[in-house]
Amino acid sequence: MNRMKRMSRRAWLGGAAALAASAGAGALIGPIRAQTHAAPRSYRLEAVEIAARTWCVYGAQEDLSRANGGAIANAAFIQTPDGVVVVDTGPSKRYGEALAALIAEQLPGKRILRVFNTHHHPDHVFGNQAFPREALAAPQAVIEAMTAQSEALAANMYRILGDWMRGTVPTPPGRALNASREEIGGRVFTLTEMKGHTACDLVVRDEETGLVFAGDLAFLDRAPTTPNADLPAWRASLAALRRMERDSLLPGHGPVDPQGASLDQTLDWLDWLDGTLREAVARGLTMNEAMAAPIPARFAALGVARTEFERSVVHLRARMEEEILNGIPPDRL
Amino acid sequence: MLRIRPAALGAVLALCAAPAPAQEPPPDPLNSGMWPLVAEENFPGEIVFDPRVKLSLPAAAEDQFHVPVTIDARELAAEIGPIAEMVVAADLNPIIHAVTFRPGAKAEPFLGLRIKVEQTTPVRVGVRGADGIWRVAAAVIDAAGGGCSAPAAAHGQKDWMSTLGEARALAGRDEAGETRISLRMRHPMDTGFAAGIPIFHLSELTLTLDSGEELAELEISAPISEDPAFNLLARPTAGGATAAVAGRDSEGNRFAFSVPLPEEAVN
Ligand SMILES: [Zn+2]
Repeated sequence: MNRMKRMSRRAWLGGAAALAASAGAGALIGPIRAQTHAAPRSYRLEAVEIAARTWCVYGAQEDLSRANGGAIANAAFIQTPDGVVVVDTGPSKRYGEALAALIAEQLPGKRILRVFNTHHHPDHVFGNQAFPREALAAPQAVIEAMTAQSEALAANMYRILGDWMRGTVPTPPGRALNASREEIGGRVFTLTEMKGHTACDLVVRDEETGLVFAGDLAFLDRAPTTPNADLPAWRASLAALRRMERDSLLPGHGPVDPQGASLDQTLDWLDWLDGTLREAVARGLTMNEAMAAPIPARFAALGVARTEFERSVVHLRARMEEEILNGIPPDRL
Repeated sequence: MLRIRPAALGAVLALCAAPAPAQEPPPDPLNSGMWPLVAEENFPGEIVFDPRVKLSLPAAAEDQFHVPVTIDARELAAEIGPIAEMVVAADLNPIIHAVTFRPGAKAEPFLGLRIKVEQTTPVRVGVRGADGIWRVAAAVIDAAGGGCSAPAAAHGQKDWMSTLGEARALAGRDEAGETRISLRMRHPMDTGFAAGIPIFHLSELTLTLDSGEELAELEISAPISEDPAFNLLARPTAGGATAAVAGRDSEGNRFAFSVPLPEEAVN
C-alpha cells in the first residue's frame, strides 16, 4: 500500500487554505505579490533607418521581463509610395499603439496598408490589435497557430509582464497570404513560407532594397529560442536564406545584418545545441545534468545563452529520447 | 478518486507501517504552510534538513507538464551507508507525492525524473537510510513559465491506447564504470483533475538483474510527467547482464520488457 498516493483533493484544498493563513507563507508568495503591483510604464520606441525608407524598432537582447515590457523582438516598417507596410507588431496592445504612434510621427498622413506577422510567437504579434484589422496578414498556418494557442500564450504573457499587457487581446490576422509576390502601395514584396523556428515562418523580401525580413529564423548576438523548433527544418531554412538574393537581412532579434552573420551564428548554435543534447541523451544524463553543460566560448557574447540553452533542454528532450533510446519489445507475460 | 480523510489515513498507516512517534517536523526553510502536512504524509518520523541530499531542479518551469528533477544521495550514502528509499513530493500539487524510489544493492541512490507542477511550489526529496531518519532537501520551482512559450502538449494523443506501455531504453557505462540506464514508457499519466478524464497512471516499476538481484523499485504517482522517463545509475554488473523491467498501472495493466546492460565501456 502506498500511503503517499492517498492525498485527496479535499486534503489539498484544506492545506492550501492553511498556506494562505500562515504568516510564514510570505517568503513563498511574497515575490508574486510584489510583481502584481508593478507600476504602469510606457514604451519609448525609437526608429532606426536600416535601408531606404525602411526603419527598425529594435528589441532588447533579453528575456521577456517587466523591466523591458516584453519589447525583445524587432518590429519594422517600410514607406511605400502610397502608405506603410509593417513587419511584426511587438508584445502587447500598448506596444502596438506606441509603434503606430511612432509610424504616424515618422510618416505623417501615411495609411497603414499591410501588417505582416512573421510567425505566431507573442513577442512578435501581440501588438496586432493597434493596427487596422483589414491590414493584418500572415500565412494560414501562422493564423491557425495564433488562434489555437492565443489563450495559453496570452495567459503566460500576462503572468510575466503584468500591467504592460493591460487590454491586450490576441488578434490573429483575418487575411491569409497565398501569393508569393505582392505589390503593396506601389512597392513589390516577395513572400516565402519557411519553417523550423516554428511550423510556419514567413520570410518577406523587399524587392526595392533587397532587404530580407527573416523573422526568428535568424538571431544575431542573442541565443535562438526553440519552443516550437524543428531543428532539421530550421537548418534547411537557413540554407535557403543563404541562397536567397539579398542586400541585407533583418533578424527577428538583433541588429540588421548586411553580411549574413546571423545565418552563420544561428546555424552554429543549432548544430551545437543538437549535438550537445543528443550526446546527453545517449550518455544517459538526466535533464538537470544536461542543463549544466558548458557553453562554448564562441557563444559568450550571445545574450541569454544559458537561459535559452536550459529552456531548449526542456523543449527538445522528449523528441530526442524517442529518436535515440532503443525501442524495446515487450516480454511475454 | 480516493477520499480518505487525514484521520482515516492515520488509521491505515498504523496498519501498514510501524507507527512513528508523532513529532513536530523541523521549521521549513521555505516557510510553506503545507510543510507539516507534507512531512507527516511523506516523511513520517524524525526529519532533518541535510545538505548532503542533492536536489536539482530549475528555478522556473519552462513547461509545467515537464519539470526536470534529479535526486542524488550518493554523498550521503558514502557517509551513512545504504539508502532505503527516496521520496519526491511537491507541496502545492493536488497530489503531493510524485515518486518513491528504493535503490537495491546494485543501484546508486540517484534518479532523474520529470514531474508536473500545478503552480509555484516547494519540491522536496526525503532520503531514508538504515537509521530511519528522513534527510530532506527542498527548493522552490517558479511555475510562471518562460517567454516565447508554447502551451504543453495535449494530454493523451488520439491513438494513445494502442501504444500504452510502449518502452524505450538505453544503457551504457559512464566514465566511472557505472551503468546509466535510461527508460521511457508511453503512458498518459492522467491526474484525474482534468474534466472528464479519470485518474490513470503508471503506479509501479521494478528493475531486476538476471542474477535475481533487485536493482530498483519505484512507486509512481500521477504527478510524474506523461510518457514517464527515468535515468538510473547502476553499480558495475557482470558483462552481458540484463535488467528485467516490470511495471503496472493504476488500472492493473502490466508491462514487462528487458534492457540489455553494456559489456564494455561506451565512452
Ligand atoms: Zn519566435
